[in-house]
Amino acid sequence: MLDTIPSKDLKHIGKAVERDDAIEKLTGQALYTGDLEFTGMLHAKLLRSPYARAKIKSIDISKAQKLPGVHAVLTGKDLHYRVGLYLVDKHIMAKHITRHFGEAVAAVAAETPEIAQKAVELIKVEYEELTPFLDATKVFDKDVPLVHPDLGRYSYIKEVFTPVPGTNIANHTKLRKGDVEEGFRKSDYIFEREYTNPNVQHVPMETHIAIGKWDIGDRITIYTSAQSPFTVRNLFSFSFGISHSNIRVITPYVGGGFGGKAGIGLEPLVCCLSKAAGGRHVKLQATREEEFSLLPCRSGLTYRIKTGVKKNGKIIAQKMTMFWDAGAYADYAVNVTRASGFSASGPYEIENAWVDAYSVYTNKPFGTAYRGFGHVEFSWGVERQMNYIADQLSIDPFEFRKINAIKPGSKTMTGEVITDHSGNVTKCMETVAKAINYGKLTAGEKAREQKTGMKIGKSVVALHKAPAMPSMTGTVVVLKLNEDASVTVNHALTEIGMGTYTSLRQIIAEVLKWPVERIRIPIENDTDRDPYDWQTVASKGLLLSGNAAILAAQDLLDKCYDIAAQALRAMKCDLDHDAEKVFIRHKQESFITFKQMSVGYAYPNGNAICGPVIAVGRYIAQGLTNLDKENSQGYPAIDWTYGAHGVITEVNPKTGAFNVIKVASAYDVGRVINEESVRGQAIGGMIQGLGTAMCEGYIYNKDGKLLNPSFTDNKIPTALDMPEEIECFAVETPQVDGPFGARGVGEHSMIAVCGGVGNAIEKAVGVDLTHMPIRAEDVWKALQKKSEGQGKKLKAKKK
Amino acid sequence: MKIKLTVNGKKYERDASESKNLLHFIREDLGLTGTKEGCGAGECGACTVIMNGKTVNSCLVLAVEADGATIQTVEGEAKNGKLSKLQTAFKANHAVQCGFCTAGMLMSSRALLNKNPKPTVDEIKHAIEGNFCRCTGYTQIIEAVQDASGQLKKKGGLKRA
Amino acid sequence: MLQNFGYLAPKSLAELYAVLKKNSGKAMILAGGTDVLVNLHNGCMAPTTLVDIKKIAELGGIKYDKKNGLSIGAVVTCVEVAENKDVIKHYPLIAKAVGEIGSPQLRNRATIAGNICTGSPCADSSCALIALGASLELSSADGVRTVFLKDFFIGPKRTQIKPEEVLTRILVPADMAGANFGMNKLKRIKGHDIALVSVAVAKTDKVMRVGIGSAAPTPIVTKDLAPNASLKDTLAAVAAVAKPIDDVRASKEYREFMINDYVEQIYSDLFNGKGR
Repeated sequence: MLDTIPSKDLKHIGKAVERDDAIEKLTGQALYTGDLEFTGMLHAKLLRSPYARAKIKSIDISKAQKLPGVHAVLTGKDLHYRVGLYLVDKHIMAKHITRHFGEAVAAVAAETPEIAQKAVELIKVEYEELTPFLDATKVFDKDVPLVHPDLGRYSYIKEVFTPVPGTNIANHTKLRKGDVEEGFRKSDYIFEREYTNPNVQHVPMETHIAIGKWDIGDRITIYTSAQSPFTVRNLFSFSFGISHSNIRVITPYVGGGFGGKAGIGLEPLVCCLSKAAGGRHVKLQATREEEFSLLPCRSGLTYRIKTGVKKNGKIIAQKMTMFWDAGAYADYAVNVTRASGFSASGPYEIENAWVDAYSVYTNKPFGTAYRGFGHVEFSWGVERQMNYIADQLSIDPFEFRKINAIKPGSKTMTGEVITDHSGNVTKCMETVAKAINYGKLTAGEKAREQKTGMKIGKSVVALHKAPAMPSMTGTVVVLKLNEDASVTVNHALTEIGMGTYTSLRQIIAEVLKWPVERIRIPIENDTDRDPYDWQTVASKGLLLSGNAAILAAQDLLDKCYDIAAQALRAMKCDLDHDAEKVFIRHKQESFITFKQMSVGYAYPNGNAICGPVIAVGRYIAQGLTNLDKENSQGYPAIDWTYGAHGVITEVNPKTGAFNVIKVASAYDVGRVINEESVRGQAIGGMIQGLGTAMCEGYIYNKDGKLLNPSFTDNKIPTALDMPEEIECFAVETPQVDGPFGARGVGEHSMIAVCGGVGNAIEKAVGVDLTHMPIRAEDVWKALQKKSEGQGKKLKAKKK
Repeated sequence: MKIKLTVNGKKYERDASESKNLLHFIREDLGLTGTKEGCGAGECGACTVIMNGKTVNSCLVLAVEADGATIQTVEGEAKNGKLSKLQTAFKANHAVQCGFCTAGMLMSSRALLNKNPKPTVDEIKHAIEGNFCRCTGYTQIIEAVQDASGQLKKKGGLKRA
Repeated sequence: MLQNFGYLAPKSLAELYAVLKKNSGKAMILAGGTDVLVNLHNGCMAPTTLVDIKKIAELGGIKYDKKNGLSIGAVVTCVEVAENKDVIKHYPLIAKAVGEIGSPQLRNRATIAGNICTGSPCADSSCALIALGASLELSSADGVRTVFLKDFFIGPKRTQIKPEEVLTRILVPADMAGANFGMNKLKRIKGHDIALVSVAVAKTDKVMRVGIGSAAPTPIVTKDLAPNASLKDTLAAVAAVAKPIDDVRASKEYREFMINDYVEQIYSDLFNGKGR
C-alpha cells in the first residue's frame, strides 16, 4: 500500500522520529503493572514443584489457611479449568501430578507478600517422585513415560495441528515438496548431520506480573504485563466459559516480552485467587527464578538434516527432522513446530524437501514463542550445515549460499512462488560480505593476529522469516479527531518496547500530511476501550497495523472531506487539504479547518452537522491458507523478511576463548519507516542472538531439575559483551502490500547470529561445532578433538 | 526503625521495617515507582540508585542502612519539569525501548558523568555493565551517554544498501 | 525481604562483641550486604538479627606502613580498596583482584572482608590475598587472634570464624609490598560473572606463590616457591593443590587446562619482564 511513492516525496517516513513514550520512561512516570496499587489488594505467592514429574499424594493447606492475613489458598484440585492456545492441555496449577520442575502446586493470596510467603511455607505436600521423560529424541522409544496420557481427550485446533495420542507428540508437522528420495538418487553427495539447542529464557527485564479481580457476578478485570490483551481475553473466556464482554484486560506499560508474554500466563491464577478471596484485587509478580521455571521458555531443538547436493553446489534434496523439546505443555510450541517446519531450510531453495517436525512433550518447563519463533534454533543447524557442505565440496560457503539462495521465481517449501517484490536475500548477503571484507584478512587484521596470537575468521550467513499467524489475522486502527485537530489513536497492538507506535504515528501523519506531534497513541491498551488486535507477535505488527493506520487516516480525510463538501457546497473531487484545513483547490480562500469540523461543524448561524469525527481502518491478512496437513503445501506467509549477517571473530587457538570483533547485518525491510527503530531492532536482536550463541541455555540434572534458574548461572550479554563494531544496513525492495512498502523486522535480527559466530570460529581455527550455545569451553573441546584427528576434513562422500 | 534520608533533594523521615530493602522502601513507602525490580539479587541493575554519590543495587541495601543517606533516583533526574541533558540525549538517540532498565541505566550513566564528564566508550561500557538491557543491545544507550557528554560525532547510523 | 529479622548497628567494637554474644548463632554480620541480602532473597539463610558493622569507626580505613604492611578494615568497600593510593602503589594485585568482583554497583557496596567471609571458593579477592600471604584479624570479646587466610577456609562456604567473632582487619605482610604479580579470571561473559577459575601469582625476590580460586572447595594457594622456581615446578605445585570439579559453569578438565594456561601465561609475563 502506497509502496510506489518515491522516498524523496515522503516527509515523515524513513526519518528517525523520536519515540512518544520516551519521556514517561525516562522520568520514571511510566506505570507498569507492578507499579499499580488498589485499595484492599492482596498479594499472591506460590508453592512450586521440586520435581520434574511427581504424583501429588496429598496437600495440607490447613495451617496456611489459618494464618492471619491469608484470604485464599488454592491448589490444583480446586480449579477445574484447562487453558491452552492451540491445544488445551494445561491446568491452572498442577492437579494430581506435576509435569515439570517449578510448576505451581498451590497458591496463597494474603494481605502482604510476606504473609503469603509464610503461608506458602506452611503448606505440606506429599509427593511420589516418578520417572520423568526428558529426552525429546527418545519420543519413539518403547515404554517411555507419557507426559499427557490423556492427550487424546484434549481439544485442539484440528485444521492446523496433529497431536498423536498415546505418545508424547503434541504436534507432528509434515512437509512434502517434490520427491525427496528421487532427489537423493540424483544427488552427487549426501550429507547427514545433527545440531542441537537447549531451552533458553526470554529474560524480559520485567518479569511476568498480573493483577486480577473476579467480581461477584462474574465480571473480570485483569491488569497484566502481556503482549496480547485480546488473546488473554479470548483464552480466558474459552477456559472459564465467561463472555468476552465480561472480561476486561488492560495492559499498562510492558517491560519487554520477546514472545514470552504472548499467550496467557499468570492471569487465570490471580483471577481464581481473587474469586476465592471474595473479589479483591490479587497481584502476583513472578520472581526471576519463577520466570525461569514456572513461566515458559524457548523449546530446545535437535535438528537432523540430510542434504543431497550436486557437484555444482546446487542442493536438490533435503530431509529435515526436528525434535522440538516442548516441555510439559504445548502452549505456542506446537505452532513453533508448524512455522519452523515450513521454513526449515532457511532462505535457500530446496527442490525436493521433506520435513517431519515433532513437538515433543517432556517433563521440563514448557516452551513458547520466542523472538524468531523457531528460526533462531533451526538456523543454527541450517547455517552450520551450509558451511559444512561447502567445505566438503571445496566451494566458498558464501558462494554456496548464493547458488542456493531463494530468488524471484524460486518456490518456497510450501510451494509459494517468490517474486521481484518479495525481498532480496542475495543483496543482503553481498552487502554484509562487503562490510566485513569477506574472504580475506585486511592488513590491520593480519597485524592484529600477529600481535595477539588470536586467529581471525569471517562468515556470512543468511536468514528469512515470515509471520507465523492464522490465515485470518486482523487488526483495527481507530482515529478520534480532537477539538484542536490532534488525533487520539485507539489500537491494541501492544507497545512492548519495539517502537511500532512511533512508526504508526509517522504513517498516519504522512497520509494526513500533518505534523507527527498531532498524532498520539496512548501506550496502555484496554480490551473494553480499544478495538480488536490479534496479538503483538510474529513481526506482523508494522505490516498489518501500518496498513490499518493508512486506511484509518484515509477514512479520516474522507470523512473530513464529506463535511467540507457539505459546508463549502463543493464536490469532494475538487477538495484538497493541508495540515490545518480542507479547501477548494480552485478557490483556496474557501476552506474549513480540521478544528472546525472535529466534534461537529457549525454554520455561522449555529446550525450544526455531522457530529464528532471518528475514523476506522480495518485490515486483515489476505490470500493466506491453512496448510495441507499431509504435505504443508499452501500459502502461510503474508511477507518474507530476508536478512544476512557478516561476522568477524577472533579465537584463541589454544583456549577456545573468542571475541566477536564485528557484526554487520542487513535486512530487506521493504521500506524504512523509522531509521532508529529499525536500527534498535537490528542491534537489540543481534545482541540477544549473541546471548543465545555464547552463554544462554537451561542446564538440568538427570532428574530434570533446572540447575541454573537465575542470573548467577544463566548469563545474558552486558555492554561489555558487544562486538567491537556493529554495522546495520537496510535493503529496500518494497513489499506491494506493506504500508509504504514496509515489512517487519522485529525478530529477524536474532536469527542466524549463532550460525554466523560458529562459522566464523570454524573459519578461524578449523573446529566443527554442532551445539549451541558456543562457550569458550566448547571451542576448546572441539580444538582437542581436532588435534586428536577427529573432525578433520573428510573427503566428500559420494553415495 | 525511624530513619531520615534525603531523596532527590527532599528530606524524608519514615518508620522503616528492618527487613525491607531500599528498593521496596523507595517504591512502597516513598511512592517513587520509577526504580524497578528485575531480579532482587543484585545481578541485573534495574534497581540502581545513587546513594551518597555511588551507584548501588537498591535491592541489596536495607532501608535502615540508608539512614542519613542522600539518594538520587530516576525521579530526581529531571529538574523543574525539564529533562536533563542526559535524558534528552537518551530520547534523541532512541536509547529507550521497553523502558524497564531505563531508570537504572540512567543512574549508572549519571554517576559516571558526575565523576567523569567526558568518558570514553570503553569507560561507558564498564560503567553500565552492571545494568542488563534486553531490548536495545546497548549501542544507542552508549551513544546517548556520548551525546550527553558532547562527544557524539554523528547521530544514528542505519545505512541504506 | 520475605522474612522478618531485626537490625542492630553497634557503634563500637565493644558494643558489637556484646551484641554477638547475646545473639550467638542467630545474628548475621552485615557489611556490604551484597551476599547476605542475596541469601535472604533466596531464602537460604534465616538470621533473627542482622548486625550492621558499618558504623564502627575502628573497622574502617586502609593503613599502610613499610614495617607492618597493609591493613584493610572490615567495612572498606571494594571500590575504596581499588582506588586507594597505597594499594595501587604497593599491592596492585589487590587492586586488580577487587576490580574483578561483580559489577560497579556491587563493588561500590561489597567489602573485601565480606568477599572473604562468604568462604566462597570463587571469591575474587581471596585468590590474590592468599598469594600475598595475607592474614586475618579475628576479634571477639575474648580477644584477638590472627590466622593466615590460607588456613581460614575449611570447606565450601565454611570458615574458621566463630559465631561470636568478627573479622576486623585484613593484613597483608610488608615483605610482599611491591611484589610482581599477574592475575587472570575465567568468566562466561565479559560482563560481571563468577570466576570459573581464577589464578593470581605474587612474586618477590624471596618467594613466589600462586593463589587459585574455583579449583577446590576453598580458595587455595601453592606452597611457597622459590622466586626463581621453574615453570615445571610451579605447575607441579599448582597441580598438588588444584582439584577442580565439574559443575554447571565448567568442566573439571577445562578448569584444569585453564589454570595451567593462566599459570603459564602469567609466569611467562613475570619472567620475560612483561609483569610488574
